[in-house]
Amino acid sequence: MGDPHPKLHASDLTRVFGRTPHTVDALGPLDLTVAPGEFVCVVGPSGCGKSTLLRIAAGLLRPSTGTLAIRASTARPAAMIFQDYGIYDWKTVQANVRFGLDVQRVPRREANARAADWLARMGLADFADAYPATLSGGMRQRVAIARALAVEPELLLMDEPFAALDAQLRMILQDELLEITQALRTTTLFITHSLEEAIVLGDRVLVMSARPGRIIAEHRPPFPRPRTGDIRSAPEFTALKSQLWELLRKEAVPA
Amino acid sequence: MTTIAPGRQPESVLVRRPGPEELHPVRTHRRRRALELSLAVAVPLVLVLWWQLAADQRWIDARVYPAPSTILSDGWDRAAAGDLWPDVWATLKRVLAGYAIGTAAGYALGLLMGSLPLIRAALEPLLDALYVVPKLALLPVFLNMFGLGEGPQVALVAATVFFFVWISTMSAVIAIPSGHLDAGRVFGASPWQMFRHVLLPASLPSVLVGARIAAGVAVLVIVASEQIAASNGLGHLIFDSRALFQNDVMFVGIVCVAVLGVLFSELVRILGRLLTPWAPRDRGRGQS
Repeated sequence: MGDPHPKLHASDLTRVFGRTPHTVDALGPLDLTVAPGEFVCVVGPSGCGKSTLLRIAAGLLRPSTGTLAIRASTARPAAMIFQDYGIYDWKTVQANVRFGLDVQRVPRREANARAADWLARMGLADFADAYPATLSGGMRQRVAIARALAVEPELLLMDEPFAALDAQLRMILQDELLEITQALRTTTLFITHSLEEAIVLGDRVLVMSARPGRIIAEHRPPFPRPRTGDIRSAPEFTALKSQLWELLRKEAVPA
Repeated sequence: MTTIAPGRQPESVLVRRPGPEELHPVRTHRRRRALELSLAVAVPLVLVLWWQLAADQRWIDARVYPAPSTILSDGWDRAAAGDLWPDVWATLKRVLAGYAIGTAAGYALGLLMGSLPLIRAALEPLLDALYVVPKLALLPVFLNMFGLGEGPQVALVAATVFFFVWISTMSAVIAIPSGHLDAGRVFGASPWQMFRHVLLPASLPSVLVGARIAAGVAVLVIVASEQIAASNGLGHLIFDSRALFQNDVMFVGIVCVAVLGVLFSELVRILGRLLTPWAPRDRGRGQS
């Protein structure tokens, strides 16, 4: 990338877990640059350190060596969406979506308006006062997405957000997310197991090696934006998917 | 966690970088452990030294609150002379007997009530009502039932322990995921096989939490009841020496009770760890 002001820049990033002699090299060394407004998908085999990378970016974990710099105008620029939703069972849907705003001390009236706006956009308006336990998995993940986007994050971090959903629902939510992120242009780091998901959503798809995770390939899906889920049936889509799978299969099979 | 360096634009750069824990993992861990250990030793030690100082400086009346050194030397003398052991042994016997009976009964009933809703419906209101009765208030009843001697003391400990183990067993059995039960049922497991392979191991971790709390409470109850109705034991020693204005002996008794309680609940904890190698280890102390 020739951009002199990348949104996110990681250099020589590694993470080791445990103490000698029982250490596990989880990540890196890894270098990564993400431009403002870019949607970057990371795919890799289980346990390759994808989530570790995301947690470092989120500030939940420190790197063992190297640095990760985020260019931002606020102290907490990131919002994260977790695989297991991470929404609270004891808050109503509306209160869940408002949570980030409450934490950031946005005035109640404005917070309610922004939460209501996002509930409407996610088709959840009728469920504002319901508790998450009464919702389906897809609904719950929509709540999680609404909660993350309601704070208007500068950096959106998504950790296999659709992994727990069934195949049809996953496609529907991918299309919804595609529409939203193309409208917002939020810089996004999206981690997934699904090659299809990565190609549909990403401006760039990074393939990570088995542990310790390094970036072994980088592809730009050849579909101009705004794109829709229809690209799934394009021949280029299938070609790229099998090309990525060739790479990933070598990593996914234990040596 | 993060540092903000000024940028050229109103935007600034947030840098995630290694902290001391990442740069020097071994040293940080060693320091952390050393700090935890020294805090665990230093806090009680400082309190004891403070107490000693207060007694030496006559800020407190040493006849009412004997100095730790007096308590220690007195305890040592009594232990060496053999005066202390009969009381310790008497208390220990009552606690162990009552604890064994109470745990066995609580576990059996908890298991039955957890797995058979009809028995639960029949007994739960009754036991809930008995649960809130202070067990010490039952001592006169036990005295009438068993007469003087070991009976009432053991019964009181058993009744106390019973409720802790019963409640934790019952809730543990109710909380077993239905998938665990279904897998056994599909294979056609008999009730005994079901117990042996599913109910027992699935409930054991939380039963042991109840058993550990009960271990502490058992010591607490026996000391109280020995003060009221026993002619030996640590509770009797504490109460009797106060009546004779032997406050140093009283504190020897109190220290013995504390040591006994800690040893007993640690023993239950270690036993629990051996019995449930699959359960996540808690490195914290018991709630008792």
